[in-house]
Amino acid sequence: MTLEEQVRSNRIRSAMLLLSFGLVFVAIGAAVQALYGGVSLIVIAGVAFTYAIFAWFANGRMIASWTGARLVTKEEYPELVRAVENAAIGAGLAQTPQVRVVDDPCPNAFAAGSSPKTAYVAATTGLLAMMNKRELEAVLAHEIGHVRNRDVRLMSLAAVLVGVVALVADLALRFAFFGGGRRRDGGNPILMIVGLVMLILAPIAAFGIQMSLSRRREYLADESSAEITGDPEGLAMALWKLKQDKTELRHANRATAHLYIETPLNNASGPRAALSGLFATHPSLDSRIESLEKMGGFQLPVPAGQ
Amino acid sequence: MGGGEPASTSAAKSNPAPARPRIIAAIVIAIYVIAGVVVLIAIWTVLIFNHLVRLGNEAKRGWSNIDVQLKRRTDLIPNLVEAVKGYAAHEREVFEEVTAARTAMQQASGPAQAGEANKQATAAIGRLFAVSEAYPALRASENFQKLQDELTDTEDKIAAARRYYNQTVYQYNSRLQSFPDLIVAKLGGFHEREFFALESPAEAALPNVDFAGEAPPQ
Repeated sequence: MTLEEQVRSNRIRSAMLLLSFGLVFVAIGAAVQALYGGVSLIVIAGVAFTYAIFAWFANGRMIASWTGARLVTKEEYPELVRAVENAAIGAGLAQTPQVRVVDDPCPNAFAAGSSPKTAYVAATTGLLAMMNKRELEAVLAHEIGHVRNRDVRLMSLAAVLVGVVALVADLALRFAFFGGGRRRDGGNPILMIVGLVMLILAPIAAFGIQMSLSRRREYLADESSAEITGDPEGLAMALWKLKQDKTELRHANRATAHLYIETPLNNASGPRAALSGLFATHPSLDSRIESLEKMGGFQLPVPAGQ
Repeated sequence: MGGGEPASTSAAKSNPAPARPRIIAAIVIAIYVIAGVVVLIAIWTVLIFNHLVRLGNEAKRGWSNIDVQLKRRTDLIPNLVEAVKGYAAHEREVFEEVTAARTAMQQASGPAQAGEANKQATAAIGRLFAVSEAYPALRASENFQKLQDELTDTEDKIAAARRYYNQTVYQYNSRLQSFPDLIVAKLGGFHEREFFALESPAEAALPNVDFAGEAPPQ
């Protein structure tokens, strides 16, 4: 796939994402209607439509506030801003994206926003502390790769849409179980069971959509990073460092998981870990390091599988 | 019978008669086909033309990125020389070398020359920094550190811009050299662009990075 094809396919997928989001919401609306009656379907569809429009334009800012990513200046973080500038120049972007920092000891980075013009790149303070200049540039080139390939809008949209599907379905389920405002006439029991099942399936469908976006995109962004910096080994070393790290991202969140360079949920334990294995948004770091090794014809001194 | 006869005569008449209309029909179809082909070629030419223009613009933007950094570098050099002079006035040779490299950068026309001049400047600045190692007071000076930092940054940015620029020039030039784009390029007055500071001739034949991204097995 060439860059143009990738850009085009991302545009189509963004539209399809909005459409499937609409369908999921109609399903939720129908389910709520079945459970509680009234005009739930119309109300929910209306709210979803408004939210979708809002999400299309403001997804970057929404994600920034969820993740706690704040805008920083070059004076505050000269190394980070320079690394982003270099990557943007190397990628041939018309302008350098804004730079944000998340105050979190867990090393990670992401890019978000609805277009290359409004996109930003965010890094955690943990990443800045852990990576040397070469590795930092490689990681940010991966994020700039997402910006250049027009992945950002698709991924950001997925984040804000998946999050709200989960939230609404959860709320509706809670009402169903704790009996808030149950319809008086009893309703049709079969319809109500179908409604409940739909409410349970909706977030799973949303996560399915999210998953389908991510894995291959990460390989492509790794490739872009290698192309931008001319240094696949730098990125491989950075990924290796990320693999060694066991700290957990404070704002780790199912909805935004696929945005990050490394999945923020891997380090979780218990049921959340089991869920993240089932619904992995990222290919394993090992296989990514391996494909970088193949690309650059080098071998990290430490075996990737260790 | 009365009803059958006219029908049979008209059938007999219509047999030899179509010779002329058939030829006309054939001519009309031929005209349509030719017109269709012409229109297709025209559309195709426009597409190729636009693609070449776009690639050319990308290369131009890539070059302006390099140019900005080269200018910044030539602006920083006098400050650096001044800063070092304050501590090591007698290192004349190095100063002259740096100044000569700067002049070469300013006079360079076109990416190829600018690349050569920039290489020369990199070497000269490197020697200046090597010399400055012998003056701890200079190295401790905040001004000097800042200049050193800025110059390293320009060097990094030139390297990044160079990669992008040479990549786009490679794409652009190889389109200009290949059929059928080369016809459009000749007619449209497109010219090949110069590479900037190739590290090796082999770099002009960078493998076109493919996005196929064969995902390795998970």
